Amino acid sequence: MYLDVKNLNLFYDRAMVLDELSFHVNKGETVSIVGPNGAGKTSALRAIAGLVKWEQDILKGTVMGKITLTGSVLFKGEELLKLPAYKIAERKLILCPERGRPFRERTVLENLQAGAYMVKSKKVMQELLNAAYEIFPILKTRKNQVAGTLSGGERCMLAMARALQSQPELLLLDEPTVGLAPLVKEDLFACVKKIHAMGVTILLTEQDVSFAFELSERNYVLSRGKVVAEGTASQLISDDLVRKTYLGL
Amino acid sequence: MIEMIIINGAVMGGVISILATGFSLVFGVAKILNLAYTAFYMVASFLLYIMIIMYKLPLSLSFVTSIIITAILAMASYKICLDRIKEHESAVLIITVALTILFQEILILFFSAINRTIPPLVGGSSEILGVAILNQQIFCVVVSIGIIAIIWLFLSKTKMGNAIMAVAEDREVANLMGINVSRMCMITVGISGVLAGLAAVVVAPLQMIQPYMWMYPLVSVLCAVILGGLGNIKGGIVGAYILGFTEACVVFLFPKFSFLRGAVSLSIMLIILLIRPEGLFGIIFEEERL
Ligand SMILES: Nc1ncnc2c1ncn2[C@@H]1O[C@H](COP(=O)(O)OP(=O)(O)OP(=O)(O)O)[C@@H](O)[C@H]1O
Ligand SMILES: [Mg+2]
Repeated sequence: MYLDVKNLNLFYDRAMVLDELSFHVNKGETVSIVGPNGAGKTSALRAIAGLVKWEQDILKGTVMGKITLTGSVLFKGEELLKLPAYKIAERKLILCPERGRPFRERTVLENLQAGAYMVKSKKVMQELLNAAYEIFPILKTRKNQVAGTLSGGERCMLAMARALQSQPELLLLDEPTVGLAPLVKEDLFACVKKIHAMGVTILLTEQDVSFAFELSERNYVLSRGKVVAEGTASQLISDDLVRKTYLGL
Repeated sequence: MIEMIIINGAVMGGVISILATGFSLVFGVAKILNLAYTAFYMVASFLLYIMIIMYKLPLSLSFVTSIIITAILAMASYKICLDRIKEHESAVLIITVALTILFQEILILFFSAINRTIPPLVGGSSEILGVAILNQQIFCVVVSIGIIAIIWLFLSKTKMGNAIMAVAEDREVANLMGINVSRMCMITVGISGVLAGLAAVVVAPLQMIQPYMWMYPLVSVLCAVILGGLGNIKGGIVGAYILGFTEACVVFLFPKFSFLRGAVSLSIMLIILLIRPEGLFGIIFEEERL
């Protein structure tokens, strides 16, 4: 199995955020995790990408530092939970964080260059840059603009383009559509499709259920840190209980 | 008169801008408000004194050695004392003050609190537009501008510079790009040590070397970086030159009141902060701009 998450538990102090969370992603798939606010979607992705461990390490010894993370995350057979976040990125598992989080005081180009930190060859860097500009043409016209002054949609695209500069094999997208207008969402939809067509495996979280279902082959429904249902879009929608309780459709 | 103000302002501004750059880098990247920073500059000056005056080593060897030792000292104190407590801001302040006093007391123990000097590294003086200026002063002005230019090129044109700036802005997200954040912090601290050593090389011959020499530059550096916008490197450099020229004006226009130069620069800092609380170059983004 490509990415295999097993019995992941996460506590902030005594508050349970992930509860025996298990799911998997096969190579080449697009899989989405949907669920209400506070279900633990972001936390799950952060745990996989090593940011929970990072948080644990830097907060060690402070009052905020009581974070417990147990279970296992296997990526291509390798256990990730003990690895520092930057080493996970070196394995080509790249997280595009919630709200994109571009470096706001840096220009678009500098953001993309930071994304290409692990790429050694200048030529490959240029190719990656061109590929990103092809998917997100707006970024090319804005390349010398400071990222903090981009619009919300442009920032989402910048974050995705930056993640692509790291040559991801498995790309984790955390709510790429949050706060976007329907038209922009459609653009973004097409972009995610393009990225998938480049051979990147995608795991995304969404609150916009229809966006997620249209995009992905399989879906997990998360509630209170647990998987409460899984399946294809049609399976989930045909299940009355799931549809009414969790999807609000 | 005006020439003296310009040359002295440029010397002061140059030295402070080197120190302010090192200070801002460490603050911006490693998130440490290192009050011991000018103590490294003091140690570097003493190292120069020891090597040049006491052991009569050749100049270039003394320069290189003192810069390297200062950088190692900066990295060692970061690793040993600061790295593990850096989330506790008040502990960091206390430890860095303690470090400063430690260095001061050790130097007093070995050298006692008397003023020492080292001879100019470039001797003689030149006439520019009819004014005699020490070659050491010209050297100081040119080299400090050169150092700033090199640092700026490094930060804006190289991959590692870009990664360092990325860490400065968002340590957590930098991880996601495969950037080893603690290594970048260490490198930055090393660079700041090199800068402190360079500042000493540039200005030590123009100054008294004694175990309290960390104090005055510390005030100036804090002033410059707050003036420019804390953590903003460009702001710190501009702030340093504003300060340098202001102080030179005070000293040469009102020689009787030259002891007030620190007070004047602090007042300027206060006024600018009242008008622009984020400093001259500080940027405030709206928290969530969507
Ligand atoms: N650092 C933290 N400290 C304490 N509690 C946290 C922390 N981070 C997340 N939580 C809690 O964990 C729960 C899950 O949060 P998470 O951000 O994973 O939800 P989410 O599914 O991504 O929600 P949304 O759709 O709103 O983004 C929330 O109840 C949140 O309050
Ligand atoms: Mg979330």
